[in-house]
Amino acid sequence: MNLKIKNPVAKLIIYAILILWGVSVLYPLLWTLLDSLKNNEQFFLNAPWALPELPLLWSNFSYVWSKYNFNAYFVNSLVVTIGSTGLALLLSATTAYVLARYTFRGSNALFLLYISSMMVPFVLALIPLFFLMNSMGLINTKLGLILVYTSSLLAFGIFVLIGFFKSLPKELEEAAIVDGASYYGTFFRVMLPLSQPGLITIGIVNILNIWNEYIVGTILINDPAQYTLPVEIGVMQAEMQYRTEWGPLFAALLITIVPVLVMYMIFQRQIASGITAGAIK
Amino acid sequence: MNAGTAKWQRNVFIASFIIPTLIFFGVFTIYPVVQGLYYSFFEWSGMSDKKTFIGLDNFKEMLHDPIVWRAIGNDYFLVAGKVAGIMLLATFFAVALTRFGFRLAGFFRSIFFIPNVISVVVIGVLWNFIYNPQIGFLNAFLSLFTKEKVSITWLGFPDHTIWMLLPPAIWAGIGFYMILLIAAIQSIPESYYEAANIEGAGQWKQFWSITVPLTWEQIKVSILNIMMTTLNGSFVIVWIMTEGGPDNSTQVMGSYLYQMAFRQFHFGYGASIGFVILVLSLITTIALQRLMRHDTVEMS
Repeated sequence: MNLKIKNPVAKLIIYAILILWGVSVLYPLLWTLLDSLKNNEQFFLNAPWALPELPLLWSNFSYVWSKYNFNAYFVNSLVVTIGSTGLALLLSATTAYVLARYTFRGSNALFLLYISSMMVPFVLALIPLFFLMNSMGLINTKLGLILVYTSSLLAFGIFVLIGFFKSLPKELEEAAIVDGASYYGTFFRVMLPLSQPGLITIGIVNILNIWNEYIVGTILINDPAQYTLPVEIGVMQAEMQYRTEWGPLFAALLITIVPVLVMYMIFQRQIASGITAGAIK
Repeated sequence: MNAGTAKWQRNVFIASFIIPTLIFFGVFTIYPVVQGLYYSFFEWSGMSDKKTFIGLDNFKEMLHDPIVWRAIGNDYFLVAGKVAGIMLLATFFAVALTRFGFRLAGFFRSIFFIPNVISVVVIGVLWNFIYNPQIGFLNAFLSLFTKEKVSITWLGFPDHTIWMLLPPAIWAGIGFYMILLIAAIQSIPESYYEAANIEGAGQWKQFWSITVPLTWEQIKVSILNIMMTTLNGSFVIVWIMTEGGPDNSTQVMGSYLYQMAFRQFHFGYGASIGFVILVLSLITTIALQRLMRHDTVEMS
């Protein structure tokens, strides 16, 4: 049973603040859409909140999509995101399972290594990563990005999945072993399917993180053909100083945001629980 | 099957599940971090293999670099501002959306979290547009109330421009901590509040004597988390919005590292800035943990 607030004025004020904040979140998204349909003239002559004039300039989208090569950046982002999320899931699920179920010499140290790495600022690694990838010939490649991103996702995945595997009853594995399943069979045919909710949660959070990642992409990629969406957005906004194309810029923002918004709408619960799971250490 | 082969099989299984991940993590995370610490003792332009060992000279130079001090000051300004702003609003929203029985609570909750799924780059660009002196929202809005058209360069003040970076940082951060606190509040047994009701304790009293003490663990985690993510990652929004300018006045340690290393090719100096970021975040974590431990309320 929840309490009702008796004072109507207090209730009104609270509602007003909630609505105000809701507007502050939704309105920028709305104006991103409206402004992506304007031309420069409308930006400079009309108020920023003015509706776009007719005809709506949907051409801004096709313009960034083909002229700005957003079709390529979109694919790059997709490849890098899916590649690193998949690889990270496999690598963190295997290690998490062993750390959750087996004790062996060094198992505790290994656990501490992954957990404590979450305390270390990633900026520290930026400079050496650049030279490491350079010496491996992986600068300006999607593979290079995938490798670095995968590694950056491991600790979080291991941490959350250990908790998940520990929550599964041990009897299931014992039964599988009695049935003659090998260690690998038990993991891949019994444990992995059972941990699907955990894997989905981690996977979605990873997808969001990598899709949105900017700084590593900027450092490891300077060949425009290999840009990911956030990297290109950064470049585009820097270029705005001498090449003003506001409409296309907003169209580009929308192209970048819409996939994550759709994912958020579908997987809201998993995202909220997954993102907070990493914070409770 | 004898005991020897069984043990052998078990070990092979464990090794095959541990080692690939560890190699990966070693090469692309541990090795770069250690290298980063190591580079901080060198002078190195990055262009050649020629690194000159200079001991602690980079760190001595930092002591006399006014931008470093400014950047550290800005970092802690952002930490303080974000902790205050985010915790205040996130706690308010979390309480309002759980304790007051609003019908639209679920809807607000979903909406408030949206900024957390959007890329920082996009957020930076959106706020740049709000602040834009010619066509931005803020000036256009203020112009409604003045005779002359307002044309303030919001991101160009010689001092205090760092203040302008707080609203986007707070706006972007709230949803996450709100969700964390909502989960904490929902795990408090309803009977506590009912008992308080019977005793005639008002909302405010209940907040301070039930909600805060029983969610203190999550409040602590939130504050530590805001601190760490700010010291370690706030430079991305700084970089997108001001590139540390004007005249390095909004530089934070992360953005200064990026500028020194990747713009000015002082990779050794950049690495030593990274070293200091690590030390600062560790010290601050320990300090905050001590500070907040004294406030922990014993609950029965």
